[in-house]
Amino acid sequence: MAEIEIRNLGIDYRKPNSDEVFAAVDDISLSIAAGEFVSIVGSSGCGKSTLLLSVAGLVKIARGTITIGGRPVSGPGPDRAVVFQDASLLPWRTVLGNVRFGLEMQRWTGGDLTERAMSMIKLVGLARFADYHPHQLSGGMRQRVNIARALAVDPQVLLMDEPFGALDAQTREIMGGELLRIWEGDKKTALFVTHDIDEAIFLSDKVVVMGRNPGHIKEVIAIDLPRPRTQEILDTPQFTEYRRRLRAHLAADMAGMHFMEEAA
Amino acid sequence: MAMVATSARDTGKSRAARNWRPDRSTVISMLSVAVFFILWQLAPEMGWVNGRFTSQPTQVLVAAIDVILNDDFFYHARISLAEFSLGFALALVVSIPLGVLLGTSRTARHLIDPPLMALYVAPTLVLLPILVVSLGIGMASKVAIVFLNALFPIVVNTIAGMSEADPQLIRAARSFGASKLDVFVRILLPGSLPSILTGIRLAVGRGVMGVVVGELFVSQAGIGYQLNTYGSAMRIDRLLVYALVVSVFGYLLTVSVRALENRVSTWRPE
Ligand SMILES: Nc1ncnc2c1ncn2[C@@H]1O[C@H](COP(=O)(O)OP(=O)(O)OP(=O)(O)O)[C@@H](O)[C@H]1O
Ligand SMILES: [Mg+2]
Repeated sequence: MAEIEIRNLGIDYRKPNSDEVFAAVDDISLSIAAGEFVSIVGSSGCGKSTLLLSVAGLVKIARGTITIGGRPVSGPGPDRAVVFQDASLLPWRTVLGNVRFGLEMQRWTGGDLTERAMSMIKLVGLARFADYHPHQLSGGMRQRVNIARALAVDPQVLLMDEPFGALDAQTREIMGGELLRIWEGDKKTALFVTHDIDEAIFLSDKVVVMGRNPGHIKEVIAIDLPRPRTQEILDTPQFTEYRRRLRAHLAADMAGMHFMEEAA
Repeated sequence: MAMVATSARDTGKSRAARNWRPDRSTVISMLSVAVFFILWQLAPEMGWVNGRFTSQPTQVLVAAIDVILNDDFFYHARISLAEFSLGFALALVVSIPLGVLLGTSRTARHLIDPPLMALYVAPTLVLLPILVVSLGIGMASKVAIVFLNALFPIVVNTIAGMSEADPQLIRAARSFGASKLDVFVRILLPGSLPSILTGIRLAVGRGVMGVVVGELFVSQAGIGYQLNTYGSAMRIDRLLVYALVVSVFGYLLTVSVRALENRVSTWRPE
C-alpha cells in the first residue's frame, strides 16, 4: 500500500555563497491515504516543489520523517515517479528515447521497453512526434513527454510538479481529464502541485494550502465532490464555495507577503 | 578556469552541416583563390618579385611530382605520421579520463587546476629543448611534444563538458533510480561529447604544429626535417610542397572531427 505519512518535516537549503542554511519548509505534517489525489497550492516560493521532491527522496530531510507504506523514505524508489516542474528531458534523446529513459534506469522487466514507451506517448497524444528531439517541441509538448516518462514506469505514487503549467487553458482541461482517467483506472496515489485553484479542486480529494516563510501547511480542505468528475461540476454551488474558500486563503497569504516586504 | 574553458571552445556548428551549394560567398572565396594563384604565377615573370623566394604554382606542381617520385617522401611522411598518431593517441587516452576526473571532482580540480592552467596558457614548445635533452632527437621527443600540445585542449573542453552538465537532468535520472555509473554513462558522457570533440578538433591543429615544429627544431627525418632541409637550401618549390602536405593533412583531419561533432550535436538547439 502506498499511503504517505509526513511528520514534522523540515527541509533546509543552503543560502547562496554561504554556509548558512534556512528552512524552506518546516514542521509539515500530512497524511495521504493510498489511492488519494492530493493537490498542493500556495504562492510562488512557499516550498511546494521542496515538499514534493522530499517525498520523491531527492532532497535531504533535515527534521521529521516521511514514510510510504510504512517504510521511511531515504532516497528515490521505483514506487514513485516525478513529473518535474521544468521538463528535465535529455536533449540528445528523442521523445521515444526520453520516455524509455525511466524504464531503462529502473531495469524495467514488464515487457518490451519501446512498446511500453510508445503506448505512453500515444496516451499523451504525441505519437506523431516520437522521433522529435526536445528542442523541436513546444513547451507544452515537452511537459507531456515529462508526464509520459513518469507514467511509463507505472509508479504507485505519482508526484507532479505543475505538470500543466506550460499548457494553454484548453489543453490543460483535456490533460486534467485524461490524468483523472488514468488515476481512476489504477488508483495511484497522486501528489499534485498547481497554481490553478479550479484545477486543484477539480482533480483532488484534498487540497493542501501552503503558506510561506518558512513553508508550512495553512489548511487542508477535503473536496467532497462525487466522482467521476466532469466539467459540469465547475458550475455547481459546492465547487464555487470551495473556490471561494481557497481564494480567501491564498489572498491572505499574498497580503501577508506585501506587508512583510514593506516592513523590511 | 571558466574563462579559459569558454575561450578554448567554439561551437562546432557551421556551414559544413548544410548541403553544399555554391552560394555567393563560396563563389567569392573561389574567385579570390584563383586570383591569388594567377598573381603568384605572374608576379615573378613580370619582375614584381624575386621568383627565387616566391616560386610559382607551376613550379610547385612540378616539384610535387618530383618529391613524390624521387624524394623518399613516403619515408618522411610515415615518420611524421607515426609521431603524430602516437602522441595524439596517448593524449586521447590520458586527457579524456583526466578531464572527466577534474570535471566531476571538485577536490581534484582545486588540486590540479592551477598547474594545469599554467601549462595550458604557456606555449608547450618552450619545453622542446628539455624534451630533446631528456628523450633524444629521435621520434620520442616529437611524440612527447604532440602529446603535450594535444593534451590541454581536450582536458579543458572535457572539464567544461562535464561541469556544464545540467543538474536538473541528473536529478531526473536519480528519481528513476539511476546509479552514479548510470548518471555518468547516460547523462554526463553524452552531454559532454560535443564539447570533448571540440577539444579534439582544436588538439588536431596543435598536434600537427607540434610535430612540424619539433622536427624543424631538431630531427633526422620527417616532414619538418625536410622543411628544414629545403628551407636552408632555398628550394622554395619543394618547401611549399611539404608545407602544403602538412596543411592538407591538418585540414582534412579537422574537417572530419568537425563532421563528427556536427553529427553528435544535432540535438543542440541552434
Ligand atoms: N536547491 C535550492 N537551493 C537553495 N534554495 C532553494 C533550492 N530550491 C529551492 N530553494 C528555495 O526554497 C524556497 C522554496 O522553493 P520551492 O521551489 O519549493 O518553491 P515553490 O513553492 O515550488 O515555488 P514555485 O511555485 O515558484 O515553483 C524558495 O525560497 C527557494 O528560493
Ligand atoms: Mg515549484
